[in-house]
Amino acid sequence: MIPAKFDYVRPSSLDEAVRALDEGGEDAKVIAGGQSLLPLLRLRLAYPELLVDVGSLGDLRGVWDEGETLLIGALTTHDDAIRDPLIAAHCALIAQAAGRVADPAVRHLATICGALAHADPAADMPAVVLALGGTMIAQGPGGERAIAAEDFFADYLTTALAANEILTGVRVPKLGPGWGYRYEKFHRTAQAWAIVGIAALARRSNGQVAEARIGMANMGPVPVRARAAEAAAAGADANADALRSAAQHADEGTQPPADLHGAADYRRHLARVLTARALAVASGA
Amino acid sequence: MELEHSFTVPVPPEQAWQVLLDVERIAPCMPGATVDSVEGDVVKGRIKVKVGPVSLTYSGTAHFVERDDQSRTVTLEASGKEMRGSGTASATVRSSLQDEGGGQTRVIVHTTMSVTGRPAQFGRGVMAEVGGRIIERFAVNLAALLAGEGPPEAGTAATSSAAANSSAAANSSAAPVAAASGAAAAPAATGPAADGAVPLEELQLPVRAYNSLRRVGIHTVDDLSARTEAELLAIENLGPQSIREIKQRLAGLGRHLAEQRAPAAAAAAAGPNGAEARPQPAAAASGANGAPAAAPAPNGAGAPGATQPSGPGATQPSGPGAPRAARPPDEDAIDLLSVAGFPVLKRALPVIGAVVLLLLVIAGVRSRRRRG
Repeated sequence: MIPAKFDYVRPSSLDEAVRALDEGGEDAKVIAGGQSLLPLLRLRLAYPELLVDVGSLGDLRGVWDEGETLLIGALTTHDDAIRDPLIAAHCALIAQAAGRVADPAVRHLATICGALAHADPAADMPAVVLALGGTMIAQGPGGERAIAAEDFFADYLTTALAANEILTGVRVPKLGPGWGYRYEKFHRTAQAWAIVGIAALARRSNGQVAEARIGMANMGPVPVRARAAEAAAAGADANADALRSAAQHADEGTQPPADLHGAADYRRHLARVLTARALAVASGA
Repeated sequence: MELEHSFTVPVPPEQAWQVLLDVERIAPCMPGATVDSVEGDVVKGRIKVKVGPVSLTYSGTAHFVERDDQSRTVTLEASGKEMRGSGTASATVRSSLQDEGGGQTRVIVHTTMSVTGRPAQFGRGVMAEVGGRIIERFAVNLAALLAGEGPPEAGTAATSSAAANSSAAANSSAAPVAAASGAAAAPAATGPAADGAVPLEELQLPVRAYNSLRRVGIHTVDDLSARTEAELLAIENLGPQSIREIKQRLAGLGRHLAEQRAPAAAAAAAGPNGAEARPQPAAAASGANGAPAAAPAPNGAGAPGATQPSGPGATQPSGPGAPRAARPPDEDAIDLLSVAGFPVLKRALPVIGAVVLLLLVIAGVRSRRRRG
């Protein structure tokens, strides 16, 4: 289908983009890779009056080493992330998860920050950034502010970003020595959304899991941490049985959706099974 | 999907009842709603739903379909069509008041909601969840509105949020509500559970068959088993294959389709979209306790239009005692035909091409023969 009519601007600087967005009001939207927004436009589920294309803000594309952290620019695509040496060296969970997003054509256009700002509960990246404890960098008319991943995802497709703010990047911590990672995604076809996705990080020491961080996709209206399972895994022996019993707590406190792809109970089950698998790989059990 | 909210307001039931009957004042409680016009009991308006980049506007009407001053139960039905698309949304909101004594009233809001069309499929059921939140907000606003009616010293402090203990509320409200619907229908049609009105979802029919049946107003297994095979065949999109399926599923519940009915009734009840103007015998059969044949209607006959989901005969599917639908209608699989549109033609192209080619060959052979 052909989208409804909208205005389009392609500013050449971030300030200009923020100004355009601010003037556009409620019905203005930022478009980067467009891999989430364009389908919505074509299905006529979204009717923005103005699209602010940030595609020419080239200096927002890339990954920068900031010492303790990595900064991933807003225009960095999933494919960039898969091939980036800094991400591979310090935060390879992102590359692994990015490799499981949709298909290569989409990954070449879709940006990591676009996926975060779109905040689809079934998307992979929000759960990964949540597990990593990332920080979103937003630019508005009043300047820049940082929003922790925990506070960023507000509801279905809704984030803490104001209507006149642009997500300019995401800052993620470098994983130190001893950390393992795994993204487990269960979906019907290779390019489909996750029915449930589990991003697990585990730090191993002396044959035990010292610390675990688990982010879950599509287990509620926003990505959630599996706090109970994290607590149960901390101090557990790094073997499959111990981690499986820790993973039994994965769905605690969640409100998974029920839809064509699975009932809520089915998702709870998936969360437990996938968490066990992800933890086992992450901790090298 | 069904939702239950309850809250207590610091006004006596008589006072709250007056507010509850005023559609014009109730309608603005709906978040995102705009009232366009009010004619009698019917409110025309629009409701805008915004979820992230997705925005949908439905326009439609809301009106009272049932009102019982005795038990202070009122049912508001709202339905709307997407303004820039083909989807629909509808909700039946049944509010009932219970005197808690001391000038306090407990308000129980039971909502049955369905969303169809593309928005329903979008985002894997997100719209249903969002709808639930809208209703929740409605209940909170309604609480505020009703509380605003109270004595000034009560203020806003006494308002309460939408209660989370929905199941408890459902249990406590089951009796009066069931009584209300029973009273409206007929003494014979008692509580929903006793009536055995099994929703159509229980049969787990294929989506196509299920949708076709719903379209002609068949909502319960009783509705279905009141029809004969010939009547079902006359329904659009229902073929012999579907009928076989339906019979099998019915047999699984120990039920069956109606035998051939009396000629007059059958003639009237058949027809492609039969249900709309269905005469009393059929309506009675569906309302009565699953009597397969068209028994003479004792009381249910007065039901205005069997399709009315909240009509006395059909209230049961949404009744609190009714078994929960195995598969709510808003989770229907996407209807490929309606989404595909022109591509359907494209799919037919090879066939058309083959036919044209065949004709050309025949023409060629003929002309060669003639020349030869």
